[in-house]
Amino acid sequence: MNDLAGKNTIISSLRDVFKVREAPIFIYVIVMIAVFSSTIDGFFSMKNFEIISRQITTIGIVSVGMTLVILSGGFDLSVGAILSFAINIGGQGIVFGWPIWIVYPFMLALGIILGWINGFLITRLAVPALIITLGTMNIYRGITMVITKGVYITPIPSVYSFIGRGYIPFLFYAAVLGIFTFATLKTRFGRNIFAIGGAEESALYSGVPVRRYKTIVYIISGFLSALSGLILVGKSGFVQPQAGLGYELNAIAAVVIGGTSIFGGSGSVLGTFLGSVMLGIILAGLTMLAVNPYWQGLITGVLIVFAITLDSLRYLKR
Amino acid sequence: MISIGKVSKSFPGVKALDDISFTIQYGEVHGLVGENGAGKSTLIKILSGIYPQYEGNIVFDGSVRHFYSAHEAQTGGIATIFQELTVIKELSVAENIFLGREPTRRLGMLDWSVMRDKSNEVLQFLDTPLDPRETVGKLSVANQQIVEICKALVLNSRIIIMDEPTSSLTEHEVDQLFITIRRLKEKGITILYVSHKIEEIFEICDSITVLRDGKHIGTVEKTETSPDEVISMMVGRSMNMMFPPRSAKKGGLLLSVRDLSRIGEFEHVSFDLHEGEIIGFAGLIGAGRTELARALFGATALDTGEIGLYGDRIDHFAHPNDALSRGVAYLSEDRKGEGLMLELSVRENMSLPILKKISPYFFVQGARERELVQSYISKFKIRMTSIDQIVESLSGGNQQKVIISKLLLTESKVFIFDEPTRGIDVGAKYEIYKIMNDLTLEGKGIIFISSELPEVLGVSDRIFCMREGELVQEFTRDEAEPEKVMKVLAAGENLTGGDAA
Repeated sequence: MNDLAGKNTIISSLRDVFKVREAPIFIYVIVMIAVFSSTIDGFFSMKNFEIISRQITTIGIVSVGMTLVILSGGFDLSVGAILSFAINIGGQGIVFGWPIWIVYPFMLALGIILGWINGFLITRLAVPALIITLGTMNIYRGITMVITKGVYITPIPSVYSFIGRGYIPFLFYAAVLGIFTFATLKTRFGRNIFAIGGAEESALYSGVPVRRYKTIVYIISGFLSALSGLILVGKSGFVQPQAGLGYELNAIAAVVIGGTSIFGGSGSVLGTFLGSVMLGIILAGLTMLAVNPYWQGLITGVLIVFAITLDSLRYLKR
Repeated sequence: MISIGKVSKSFPGVKALDDISFTIQYGEVHGLVGENGAGKSTLIKILSGIYPQYEGNIVFDGSVRHFYSAHEAQTGGIATIFQELTVIKELSVAENIFLGREPTRRLGMLDWSVMRDKSNEVLQFLDTPLDPRETVGKLSVANQQIVEICKALVLNSRIIIMDEPTSSLTEHEVDQLFITIRRLKEKGITILYVSHKIEEIFEICDSITVLRDGKHIGTVEKTETSPDEVISMMVGRSMNMMFPPRSAKKGGLLLSVRDLSRIGEFEHVSFDLHEGEIIGFAGLIGAGRTELARALFGATALDTGEIGLYGDRIDHFAHPNDALSRGVAYLSEDRKGEGLMLELSVRENMSLPILKKISPYFFVQGARERELVQSYISKFKIRMTSIDQIVESLSGGNQQKVIISKLLLTESKVFIFDEPTRGIDVGAKYEIYKIMNDLTLEGKGIIFISSELPEVLGVSDRIFCMREGELVQEFTRDEAEPEKVMKVLAAGENLTGGDAA
């Protein structure tokens, strides 16, 4: 009797695994690794995985923040601009000769402040987050360009490169993934984010402090953008005003390909991670195959349309 | 005749229709009744081509007809008027009537004169003097419905399905609709009339089909049955009492409301609520009751007034969270928009207001959550496959029970129930009245807002009549006779000094 019950739970939990939203994308990722590994010499190597991990980290971290924002029913187009603002304006500290233990917190604080400004405006104005962050994106970038006059900060002290060495960026990424996977699934914060994205009024009437949580989500997004900026500086060894350009769209792509609903209320950080991995693998594979880089954009586009089609089918089925 | 033969339809995990067979005679008004989740909507959607996949067959005009789209059903002679009207408010009456099949002249130009003439023709037939050029959004809901009926007539529909057609009509408009239905019937059009309201069914229908839990319970001639019999067929038991008896005793003062105003919505509202009491707010739609409830709950700001709670004077609630943490819970009339997250599970929905309690250290305590949620599910016999089921897949009555359980989990002292029985069936209504009754036995107080007068009178200890944003009169349970109350609500009979409490 007990054996039977045990067996049934195994079967049903196996079935549950395939019902999981992330299952299809996980399978695609595996298939893609298999295909590239069998067709490209040297694809399946530690060296290559290190390269891929380094490539996906910066946008990957931004995408985690974007996931929270989209889960809560919002959008944040200003992530790339915040990244650039944080490292360039914060980078003025490097120019002034401030020590790293002041520059880093300063950069992260800038990310938090800009995120808070987004959240404040979004929760006070009756305008969609997409439009507000479209505005703040241009404002943040504008300020960055005005102050830096488009000039790179280089050379920078070598201590700033430590964070960008080898697998260190990926360790940061893994930590961010771990923290926010846990936060979305197991904490009050996570529940409230899903609730707000699912039906904001319902959440309000259930006593959820909607404004506060929405603001927090944009603050987190701003913070993670700045963190991603620190790593970018570490990897490149200089600070450039154009940093983070186009990150917002790549991050949204990873979120959507990862199965998070563009309307909010359902999805996961894990899915976004898989979305980022998928984009990273495609990029690496196509580069190694010496495919014209223009094809990469096309393939990313097809994936996005495909993912959104799946998402809307979910709605149509009801 | 139209015969529905052995029709079944399944959704993942639910058998919505199970081997349904009955016939509808041409030219009759056929009532389709059943509790929520009985399968009425599913059947309508099959007949109107929205659900093309089902088992069994539908025969009319002597041949099996299977519609694969709403468009096919319409051209095949079946028109459906859904509860949520499908008129396009920005367009004119004529444009709506001819939507999708506009008569054209050369080069695809719209033939306005034909559209206008034909529109006038059908409008005259229905005895409704509407201007075909009028924008539909400016019409009353009743007239918008007429436009939909005109659409069906222009299509030469032989069967018109009406889904809860009276749900947003006034009494007078309902009478008008019945005149229209009779006229259609004279013309030989068959009507499938779907409704919750037994009185209406008995007034307008020739025969009645009852569904329950996806099964066909019976099809009877109106002349050979009675409302009581139909109700007992619907619920599967006889309902002698519409309302459970009130036995709670009035205790100490819970809530006192003084001079609440929110300009443009309600003015100078004062009342008290005691332990063990249900106070009913009767009024027409738009009388300001929901607005009052929302402001009281802290969802909107007050202009004047103050609230006393358990003897303490507090100014007002700044946020719903504030109200909830002091033991005041609000059930919104808008189940889908303001009550539930349809995509989340039953468990996640129910635990939302008590997350603080079950996540004292920020992390949600899964076991405690399941235990609490499960206890309420068993208590209220909510039908579901598991507590992780997505709320959207539950029936209306069960969804409502999920919301109520969610509020009860907060262990509040004061409950504001705004239209808690809207759109749910007789059996589920009775259960909700019972839950309210039980709450008052535990010493809680309930503010009960409803637009259905019989239930306000049947459930409440005191009844407040609200009209145009003001409390105009208070009745005790014994004084409140339906005619008297209705007079106060509807007529402009101004009762001076009628301020309550």
